[in-house]
Amino acid sequence: MKLPILIFLLLFGIALAEDAPAPAGSASNALFRVQSNNQSYDFFQPWSKKPPVNRRGVGVVVENERVLVTAELVANSTFIELEHPVTGDKSAATLERVDYEVNLAVLRADKPEFLGQSTPLPLNGPARVGDLAEAVQFEANGGLAKTQARLTSVATAPYPVDGAVFLLYKAALPLQQRDGSFTIPLLRDGHLLGLVMRYDARNQTADIVPGVVIRRFLEESAKPGYAGFPRLGMSFSDLRDPQLRRHLRLQEPGGVLLTDITPHASAESAGLRKGDVILAVNGIPLDQDGHYEDTDHGRITFSHLTNTLTPPSTAVPVTILRDGKKLDLAVTMRPLDRNKSVIPSHHSDSPPGYLVAGGLVFIELSRAYLREWGPNWSSTAPQRLVHYDAFPNDLPRDRGRLVILSQVLPTADSIGYEHLENLVVTKVNGQEIRSLKDLSKALSKPVNGFHRIECEEDPKILFLDAASVEKNRDTLRDHYSLPALERL
Amino acid sequence: MRPIFAAVFLIWAAVAAPASMVGESLVRIEATGQSPDYKAPWNPGSVESGVGTGFVIAGDRILTNAHVVSNARFLTVSKEGDSRPYSARVLHIAHDCDLAMLAVDAPEFFNGTTALEFGGIPAIESTVSVYGYPIGGTRLSVTRGIVSRIDFQAYSHSGMDSHLTIQIDAAINPGNSGGPVLQKGKVVGVAFQGYSGDVAQNVGYMIPTPVVLRFLQDVEDGRYDRYMDLALTYEPLFNPAARKALGVTQDDRGVLVGRVYAGGSSEGHIREGDVLLSIDGLPISSDGSIPLDSDRVPFTEIVERKFKGDSVAIELLRDNRTLQVTVPLANPWPFVLQSNLYDEKPRYLVFGGLVFQPVNKDFMEAHSPGAAKLKYLFEYFIEDGIHRTKPELAVLGSILPDSVNSYAEDFRYEVVSKINGQAMRDLADVARALEEKHEFHTIEFEGNGRPLVLEAKAVADSRARIKQRYGIASEKNL
Repeated sequence: MKLPILIFLLLFGIALAEDAPAPAGSASNALFRVQSNNQSYDFFQPWSKKPPVNRRGVGVVVENERVLVTAELVANSTFIELEHPVTGDKSAATLERVDYEVNLAVLRADKPEFLGQSTPLPLNGPARVGDLAEAVQFEANGGLAKTQARLTSVATAPYPVDGAVFLLYKAALPLQQRDGSFTIPLLRDGHLLGLVMRYDARNQTADIVPGVVIRRFLEESAKPGYAGFPRLGMSFSDLRDPQLRRHLRLQEPGGVLLTDITPHASAESAGLRKGDVILAVNGIPLDQDGHYEDTDHGRITFSHLTNTLTPPSTAVPVTILRDGKKLDLAVTMRPLDRNKSVIPSHHSDSPPGYLVAGGLVFIELSRAYLREWGPNWSSTAPQRLVHYDAFPNDLPRDRGRLVILSQVLPTADSIGYEHLENLVVTKVNGQEIRSLKDLSKALSKPVNGFHRIECEEDPKILFLDAASVEKNRDTLRDHYSLPALERL
Repeated sequence: MRPIFAAVFLIWAAVAAPASMVGESLVRIEATGQSPDYKAPWNPGSVESGVGTGFVIAGDRILTNAHVVSNARFLTVSKEGDSRPYSARVLHIAHDCDLAMLAVDAPEFFNGTTALEFGGIPAIESTVSVYGYPIGGTRLSVTRGIVSRIDFQAYSHSGMDSHLTIQIDAAINPGNSGGPVLQKGKVVGVAFQGYSGDVAQNVGYMIPTPVVLRFLQDVEDGRYDRYMDLALTYEPLFNPAARKALGVTQDDRGVLVGRVYAGGSSEGHIREGDVLLSIDGLPISSDGSIPLDSDRVPFTEIVERKFKGDSVAIELLRDNRTLQVTVPLANPWPFVLQSNLYDEKPRYLVFGGLVFQPVNKDFMEAHSPGAAKLKYLFEYFIEDGIHRTKPELAVLGSILPDSVNSYAEDFRYEVVSKINGQAMRDLADVARALEEKHEFHTIEFEGNGRPLVLEAKAVADSRARIKQRYGIASEKNL
C-alpha cells in the first residue's frame, strides 16, 4: 500500500490547472470530507500500536443518515471526523459497519442533525466498458472538482485488502491532487456509480467498487448479525485444454475445474469436491473460463452471481460433472467463518492476541504478521510460514490456528533461548495447541514444575521453570514496559 | 601500490633459498572443463579453461583442489624449469573437502621432482608462505602471511560442507588454488579460497593438514567415500530449567538433540530430545565443544576424522537414564541434493516437450524459480523429512513449446506428485510411469488441484518433431 500512496502525492505536487467548480446540485449536498486517524498494531510487538497516520477521503451520504466510505480509509481508526465542505462544520463520527473484503464501510455522525440538509445519493448502474462518469473531489473552497473517467474494464478481480474476488470497474482517470485520496466517489447523472478505492497515479487508472457491490453491502450490512458477503470458498481453473476436456469426458462446451476447496465453507458443505467440473450455476451454463452472460455487466465470472447477487443463506443450484456423471447440488451461500480460517488474511480493528511467558512471545500466525517483513514479504519472511499461508489447505484438516513463538525477550527464564524466533508450536505440557487460548490453558498445568514446549523446528523442545516464570511475571512486565502479559 | 611491491620483494629475498627447492615440487595445472547447462540439460555445456596449482606428494601423485579439476575434460600439468605440458588425469576427487589427487601418465614427469611432506597445525601468529601460479604472471609466485584464525568454515566448492579451516593474511588469488602453504619446509595447508577485495582484505583460507591427511587416508583403498555425518541437529543446553527438566546434573555438560534425519547415521540410535554427554570418551560442553589437541573444537570434529565403516561411542541421557550407544557412521545422502554437483551430466527427461529434471542446487541456481511450493520443498527437503517419501523432487523445469503442450505453461516449476494415480518418488519413477500404456497420462503436481493431461498418442506423434525442432540429441539421461 505504501508505494501507490507515495506516487500519488508526488504527482499531485506538480498538479496544474484545476477543473472549474460545478454548479451545486444534489451531489454537492450529499458529499462530505472525511478524515480518519488510523493506528495499526505492530505485529512484531503486538502490545504496541504503530504511529498514527491520517487518511482523507470524500464520503457519500446514503439512506438512513449514514456516510459511505471505503474500508481502507477507516481501517484501524482511532478517530473519525466528518466535515461539511462549505461551512467547515465538523462532527466526530462512529464506524457503524465495515467489511474489509468488499472494502466498504458506513459511518454515522455523532452530532444529531449534522447531515440535516443533505439528501442521500441514489445509486447508478450498471455500467459497461466505454461508459463515462465523473470522479468528484472538493476544491479548497468547498466547490466540486470533477474529472472525467472512462471505464476500461468490467470484470471480477481481487480487492485490495485481502484478495477476495468481486466485480470491479477499472477506469482511465487523469486525477489531480486534492485532499482526500482514499475514497473518491464516481458519479453519473448525479448518481453514485462507484467508489474509487485505489488510484495508480503513474498510469492514471483507478480501481472502483461498483454500485452493485455497494447496493448489496448497504442492504445486508443494515441487518443484525452481518458477517460479510457469502463466499463459495473454492478455487477453480479454466478448462480450455482440449486434452484435459477429453480426459474428463466433457460433452458440454463449457465448465470449470474445481481445484481447491476451503474446509467448512459453502461449497464444501454442499458436497462439492476437488476435481468436480462445474457446468452450470443457477441453471446458467458456464463457458470454459467460468463466465456467464450477466444482463447488467456482460460476460463476467460466475462468482459474481454466487457471491454478490445471491442473498446470504439462499441455496444456489449447481450442476457438476463428477466421474463422467452429471449431478445437481444446492449450495447454500454463507460468508466465510473467519474463526475457522487457519491464517487470517486481514486483521484490522481487533487487536492481535499475544501471550508472553518467561520472555517467550507467542502469537497466532496471520497475514498481517507476515506483512511486517515489508513489501517483498513473500520472499523475505520465513519460508515455512509463507508456505503455510500460501497452502493452508495442505495442513491437516482442523489444524486450527498456528501458534508461533515469534521472538524472545531475554529474561532469567529464557537464558539460552534468546536466538529463537518464528517456531511453530505443536504441544505444550502434552496438550495440542490450536489457538492462544489453548496455549494459555496448557500453561496453567505445568508438568512436574516445568512447562514443556514442543515446536516443529529446532530445538524442538523447550523448558521453562513454571514457578520461576510465575514469580518473575511482574519484573518481566515492568522491564519491557508491557501493558499486559497476555491478550487472548 | 608501491608499498605492496616492496613487501613482495622482501618476502622473495627471505624465502628465495627454500623457494628454489619448493619449485621442484610445484605443478602448474591447466584444466579445460565443460560446465553443464541446467537450462538445456541435453547440451554438452560450454567449454572453459583455467589455471591452478598443485604439488607433488609421495607416490608420484599430485595434490590440488577439487574445484581446479572439476568438470574437467582435458588436463595438463607442467613443472618449474620444464614448460612442456604433460597430460594428467583425476585419480580421486573429494568435492566435500575440495581436494583432488592427480596422476600423470608419463612416468618421467616426476624425474627431478621432490615430494613434499606434511606438517601439523601451525600456531596462531606464526608465519607461513603460499606458493602457486596466481594471476599477474605465469611464473611461480610466493606470498607470505601469518596464521590469523583456526576455525570451522564453509567450503564454498560444495556449498554444503564445513570443515576445519585456517585463515591466513597472505594474499590468495585465482590460480593459487591447490598450492601448498609451507612452514619450515613442510606443508601445513592447501590454499583454496578467499574473499574478493571488496568484501574483506587480507583474508585467505587454507585446508589444514587434518583434512588433507584424512583425504589421503580415505583414498588408500582406491575409493573416496566422503565425509561421514551424524545427520542430526543439536542445540546448546544453557537454559537452567531445561537442564533440570532433562535431568542433566553435571555442570556445563550436554547438548540437546533436535532433529535426527531419516536415513542418516544416527537414526535408530539417537532420538529427538536426547542429551549428548560425551563422544568417544570426551566430555561435550553445553555449547557443543570438546577438548581436542589442546584446543576446544565442536564435538563433530571427532566424526570429521572418521571413515565409512567406523563408529562413534556416544554417552547420552534419555528419560533420566544414561545410555551408551555406538553409532555406525554412514553417508548423509540426502544432503547431496543441496550441494553443488560436479562431474555429473545433468539428468532430465523430455516427454511431449515437457522437460522434467531433478531439483538440486544447480537447478535452483540456473533457473531461480519463484514458485512457492518448489522453494519450500527444496529448502525444507531434509528438515521436514520430505526426502523420506520422495528421495528426489522431479520438477517440470521447462517446456519446449509444441501443439501437444499448448496448455502446460501454468505448470512450469511445479513438482510432480503423481502420474496416473501413482506417487512419484524420483525422476526414474516419472520415466517409468510415462512409459506405461495409457490413453491419457495424468500428471499431478504438489499443491495444485489441476492435473496436466497429455494424450499418449499426441505425445508419440510429437516426439520426432520436438527432437528435431529443438535439437535434442537424447530424450533422457536418467
